[in-house]
Amino acid sequence: MSKRLIVRWFLVIAVLVLSGCSSAAPAAPAAGEKVTIRLWSHQNSAFNKVNQELIDGFMKENPDITVKYETFPYDQFIETLQTSMPAGTEADVIEMFGSWVCNYADGARLADMPADVMSYKEAQEIFYQAPLDGYYCNGNLYGLPNEFNLEYGGALVSPALYEKAGIPFPPAYTDYNTLISDAKKMTVLDGDTMTTAGFHFVGGDTLGFILLSGILEQGGTYFAEDGKHFNFESPESLNVIRTLTRYAQEDKVIDATLFSGDNGLPNAFFNGNVGIGYIGSWAAGVGKVDFPDFKFDYVMLPPMFGTEPKFVADAGWGKVVSKNTKHSEASWKLVKYMTAERANALKFNQISGTIPAMKSIVEQPDEILAVQPWIKPTFALLKHGAYLGNVTDRDQLFYEIIAKNLTDALTGAVTPEQAAAAIQKQANEMVDSKSK
Amino acid sequence: MGQRGQLQRTQQRFAYSIMTPIMLYLMLFSLIPMIWAVVLGFFDYSPVRLGSGLFGLGGDNPFVALDNYIAMFGDTQAAHLFRTSLRNTFLFSFLVLPLNLAITLPLAIIIERSHARAKGFFRAVYFLPTVTSAVAVALIWGAIYSPQAGLLSSIIRSVGMTPPKAWLTDPQAIFMGIPIAMIALIVAHLWQDFGYNLVIFIAALQGIPANLREAAMVDGANESQMFWLVTLPLLRPTMLFVCVMTLLSSLQMFILAQVMTAGGPREQTTTILMSIYQNAFRFQNMGWAAAMSFVLFLIIFTFTMIQFRVLKTDWEY
Amino acid sequence: MSPSTTRIVPFGISLGMIARYAVLLIGLSVTLLPFVYVLVSSLKTPAEIIRVPPSFFPKDATLQNYLTIFADPRVPVATFFANSTLVAVGRVLITLFTSSLAGYIFARYEFSGKNLMFGVLMAQIMIPFQMIMIPLYLILVQLQLIDTLWGLILPAMIDAFGIFLMRQFIEGIPRELIDAGRMDGASEFQIYARLILPQLRAPLASLGIFTFMATWNDYLWPLIVITTHEKRTLPLLLTWYSNAHGSRPALTMAASVIVLLPIVLIYILFQRQIVANAATTGFK
Repeated sequence: MSKRLIVRWFLVIAVLVLSGCSSAAPAAPAAGEKVTIRLWSHQNSAFNKVNQELIDGFMKENPDITVKYETFPYDQFIETLQTSMPAGTEADVIEMFGSWVCNYADGARLADMPADVMSYKEAQEIFYQAPLDGYYCNGNLYGLPNEFNLEYGGALVSPALYEKAGIPFPPAYTDYNTLISDAKKMTVLDGDTMTTAGFHFVGGDTLGFILLSGILEQGGTYFAEDGKHFNFESPESLNVIRTLTRYAQEDKVIDATLFSGDNGLPNAFFNGNVGIGYIGSWAAGVGKVDFPDFKFDYVMLPPMFGTEPKFVADAGWGKVVSKNTKHSEASWKLVKYMTAERANALKFNQISGTIPAMKSIVEQPDEILAVQPWIKPTFALLKHGAYLGNVTDRDQLFYEIIAKNLTDALTGAVTPEQAAAAIQKQANEMVDSKSK
Repeated sequence: MGQRGQLQRTQQRFAYSIMTPIMLYLMLFSLIPMIWAVVLGFFDYSPVRLGSGLFGLGGDNPFVALDNYIAMFGDTQAAHLFRTSLRNTFLFSFLVLPLNLAITLPLAIIIERSHARAKGFFRAVYFLPTVTSAVAVALIWGAIYSPQAGLLSSIIRSVGMTPPKAWLTDPQAIFMGIPIAMIALIVAHLWQDFGYNLVIFIAALQGIPANLREAAMVDGANESQMFWLVTLPLLRPTMLFVCVMTLLSSLQMFILAQVMTAGGPREQTTTILMSIYQNAFRFQNMGWAAAMSFVLFLIIFTFTMIQFRVLKTDWEY
Repeated sequence: MSPSTTRIVPFGISLGMIARYAVLLIGLSVTLLPFVYVLVSSLKTPAEIIRVPPSFFPKDATLQNYLTIFADPRVPVATFFANSTLVAVGRVLITLFTSSLAGYIFARYEFSGKNLMFGVLMAQIMIPFQMIMIPLYLILVQLQLIDTLWGLILPAMIDAFGIFLMRQFIEGIPRELIDAGRMDGASEFQIYARLILPQLRAPLASLGIFTFMATWNDYLWPLIVITTHEKRTLPLLLTWYSNAHGSRPALTMAASVIVLLPIVLIYILFQRQIVANAATTGFK
């Protein structure tokens, strides 16, 4: 009796396991048969919306290719990439951030682009150099960009708060003195609790870009002489950190303790608690999709230092193909369709509110400006962009090292000098730990 | 005699017939992954790199012997962060364990003494938070701790007091040497977790034979004598279980901190598991993360063994 | 009947009793307040939920947040719900069976290798899951279980914690019961199924709830194993409306309620069962 029950138990489990297997077994590709490829991206309402639309268009044009679009929350996206890559289960096409690409390419996780899809030379004709550079490593091209990442030089502004403070809207700033004085008027304190921040610039991306671009604006560089390590204790770097600290500590236009985390940019802005929010124009795209009733504008700001705008471009989101794909041809077809066909690239920028990586969209800007008028002033900036360069681990440098230590200076927990020293030490340790 | 041997053989056969598949299963889903994790600790491994050789261990993912362990004592930011996260984890765990027991044991006794109906009701309600998702709890408590629109600050204001500027983000907010953000996490954790131990204690108290207590009462024992001399010794196995499980779970605290504070402010709430997770999946230092998790494993193992020893030998009768 | 009830004089209320109930009621409000808070917050408009100073109850209560979520084509709530249910029920049934059976064997059988096996089990509790995630994932790939709901059930069929719990309880069951069973000629499995299992109703119910809840609330693992959106489980909703690119607190609160509500309802139903069990079987 007991034996029979045990046998039965085994049978049940065997059946369960087998049924699981059969449902998971991937369909073997056969000639002329429909192929299914997968596209992965992180979750972002505007990006997800336009990607899905482009995929639908692609499938209509290519009835023999089915594209499955799968999305993950940002953290799980990175985590899933790293779990799935050793197993070879990642998607065929992956939406990656340009400055991650070389990291994955160096690890032999990405396929280099076949020359018949597009050569580097052809790509240079079509795309701006700064975003394209993120996809070009060791003499190979690993994908194509959808956007020109620009976190510099522009800000969301809130008409309601300008009106409340009696300042004319929209503002046209030519120097930071006026901006800070407006910001002071819009800042609201309740006791020592800041309920409205006049000028919000505390964010993982924003702080990094202000620091790096600020150094360039003053004619400095953030790389050490070997071009691999960093120098964040230069006079230029210290000047940026001191200036930002002054805005927070003396002018009190932002409280970095309160306006962080869930209350960071752009959340705090779209909740109506920020007058001027220093952030890339993509935030305007998110705002249009997620907060359709919220009134705002996006304006250009003068250089924070010096007179000439100069900025660091961090490539931008684009599409790459996994080395493990079994459908190389279809995958590259999709990449090309989504990034290099003008109408589609345009649609991507129109809906996501990102700045085009494709030159011809900027050169004939009517279509993009009809939908995203505020990005017009950024076009004049594009020529001032320099690619970030190989900063080893971009996310770690920006989020864990620069943003954290700068925030400590902004809250007064450390002095600007201490923050600069900490950034310097930690950034160089990161380089050393990853180049064993 | 023969019959006895026969019986033992049947029993053995039964035990093995059940345990063999279970062990095979554990081998596949626990032991091999564990060994794998230990092995990774001796490599500079990152899943981003293809590497070479068996399982990609080699080439770009080289063997580094004890380097990862030696690096823990170094002066690098990574080593500092590791030691800070260890300190934070200990602080958290050693506050949570006594606080948890101080809440659950008296509460369990009170509930056990209540009317049968009230007993069921209170037990049911107190257990409720434990069935909720940690992510949801983190989101809800995050809203409660929100500095301006949050529930806690507005309750404190409504009774005419001034709340701290921020509960989760102010590195300078410290109470009795403990960061406020850490206290906030402990409160949220206790809220979610206490019902579990409570229910176990109630079940154990119900298991104490009534005649034992009646006998003690006849002997003239008062309430506190009854607790220390009758109830507590009889709760010994339960106490062991509860202490081990509470400590194990608090040493592995992760989601609350991840969602509510992301380890901040100024790493005041970065736990060891967060550090492991970030290094494994965000900073692409999986070898380093594996070494750290082996240390965590040793710590957990040591505490568990100590607790087994202490609670077992002391109270053996 | 618990012994303490004999001490309560009918119609008489002692001071100690008042104090005890006062403590219980304070605990009650602390326990329930966050639940009430998330519920009332989920009924606020996006504007009201961030208003300073805040109000506890919504001025114009609205179901709009729920309607928005249910109408969002990107989150098929019913599908997520069905997936969550399937995985949770499957895992509960399997875990209860394996835990009680293995717990029984650890508690009442002697065989060589027992300590080693128990050690492996304990190690399973002690190793942080995050570290075995990648090897576990690789194994599931070999079994071709990635992106299937089985990938969520299979790695959790043997629960060391459950076995540990069951062993503790079974050690409290008198050996005489088992010996009596053997005398009556019951097979070993029959002793387990007919004599031991009925004694375990209450701890099994607890373990069942615990497993159900752990499965229902599991967040990290499903997001990695499942890549097809339609196969995802309900907790995905929690962070859907809250990320670095813009969070909508009112929707997040409503999503939390949607995730919490089923398990709270199931818990309320299940809890009655446990209370009844405890009362009728004495649970001694």
